[in-house]
Amino acid sequence: MKKATKVLFVLLIVIVLSFSLASCKDKGAGVDAIKDAGVLKVGVKEDVPNFGLRNTDTDVIEGFEVDIAKMIAAEILGDADAIELTPVTAKTRGPLLDNGELDLVIATFTITEERKLTYNFSTPYYTDAVGLMVKKDAGYAGLADMDGAVIGVAQSATSKDAVTAEADKLGISVSFSEYATYPEIKAALDSGRIDAFCVDGSILGGYMDDTTMILPDRFSPQDYGVASKLDNTDLADAVDKMITGWIDDGTMDELIAKWGLSY
Amino acid sequence: MRNSGPFALWRWERLFGEWQAFGEGFLRTVEVAILALALALILGIIFGLFATSQFKILKAISRIYVEFFQNTPLVIQVFFMYNGLAIAGLRLSVFLIGILGVGIYHGAYVSEVIRAGIGSIPFGQTEAAKAQGFSYTQTMRYVILPQTIKIVLPPLTNQAVNLIKNTSVLAMISGFDLMYMADSWASYSLDYGPSYIVAGALYFILCFPLATWARNYEEKLKSNELYRNQIETVEEALIEQ
Repeated sequence: MKKATKVLFVLLIVIVLSFSLASCKDKGAGVDAIKDAGVLKVGVKEDVPNFGLRNTDTDVIEGFEVDIAKMIAAEILGDADAIELTPVTAKTRGPLLDNGELDLVIATFTITEERKLTYNFSTPYYTDAVGLMVKKDAGYAGLADMDGAVIGVAQSATSKDAVTAEADKLGISVSFSEYATYPEIKAALDSGRIDAFCVDGSILGGYMDDTTMILPDRFSPQDYGVASKLDNTDLADAVDKMITGWIDDGTMDELIAKWGLSY
Repeated sequence: MRNSGPFALWRWERLFGEWQAFGEGFLRTVEVAILALALALILGIIFGLFATSQFKILKAISRIYVEFFQNTPLVIQVFFMYNGLAIAGLRLSVFLIGILGVGIYHGAYVSEVIRAGIGSIPFGQTEAAKAQGFSYTQTMRYVILPQTIKIVLPPLTNQAVNLIKNTSVLAMISGFDLMYMADSWASYSLDYGPSYIVAGALYFILCFPLATWARNYEEKLKSNELYRNQIETVEEALIEQ
């Protein structure tokens, strides 16, 4: 039995080491590699209205971020349809970039200093603020009323820090429950497990119904950027040039207006 | 440039700076597992006895319990307790849901193990006890159950191992267990590599000694021919279901 334990520990160490080494050598695909492949692989949301939402009639993912992906494909490959969209969640988008399944992630990915250590982010193409959705009959007029409340947030989202900072300013304390998906947070709000559903304002809009309302509080503007692998600077530079170009010539504003994004 | 890979060394360092969070999660997992195991054993013995009793109604109750909980996913049972019962007005704490959810679910499996264990004791012993004037309770208490426990310890330990792993279902309902803490840290810091490996290693530390002990104990029992036959009967009965 002792021998077996030893063997297992050695095995574990070997696995860990080989992972660490393997992650050093893979340099990712530059712009040329994408041209060779003839297709741009992009991770997008499929459950965020107006940003990336699967149309249940046509089974196609549509939205503001999908349009950006198409424009990038048109620039690199000369064909806006040369894209392969993969639905991602806050939890899967990182690993999918790391293992090379995706070239880019355009999925309401908030830029933070900490995340820049792990991925390349483009210039922000959209700025959104964190909002709170509550039950109408709870009687909350704003975050200031919510001392002691439990707030539901998505894993991997930056909303937790944003609300904590705001609550500290107001001198109240709140606690958090994290969930893997937005529908789970909505279910917890409906069942009274949490007092507020807290995510980026644009995402909240998609979960409104007759019993809920969005509080007027808006805090911590979140910048969304196009993420790519950190060592794939070739692609990151190319994408960043495109994004800044579209912001300067007003294309981005047109797109934002097209999808009715106004927060 | 700094290594940005998911298993880079600085990610490990950052994670070990967060060891309290993992420690808390680990503790919560151990607490839930122990209490859920106690509940599963109590339920398992009660319903296992029901299943072997002469009364049809008790047999039926045991059957319904076992089939219902074995044939619906634990995830749905727990999700129902968390949201469904809360809508109905019964708001249990996630800690309690962990104990009840996992305990009741595994109670169904323990019940089958107990039923198979009792079934492996030759019927002649029950008859002999009866001939000596033992009541049903006395027969069970002094003759059948002491032998059963010895035989069913290995399969029960395997249930305990599965139970420990299944407490990770709590992560889904924000249960602050080990899996939840790992998810939370992985998604917050993006250090998902070290985070899940450490969580996996901690579950392993809990489960591996139990599983090893069960295997060794079973080997030892099997060296006795009487027990070997009984163990085989139990194994057959458990495979059949």
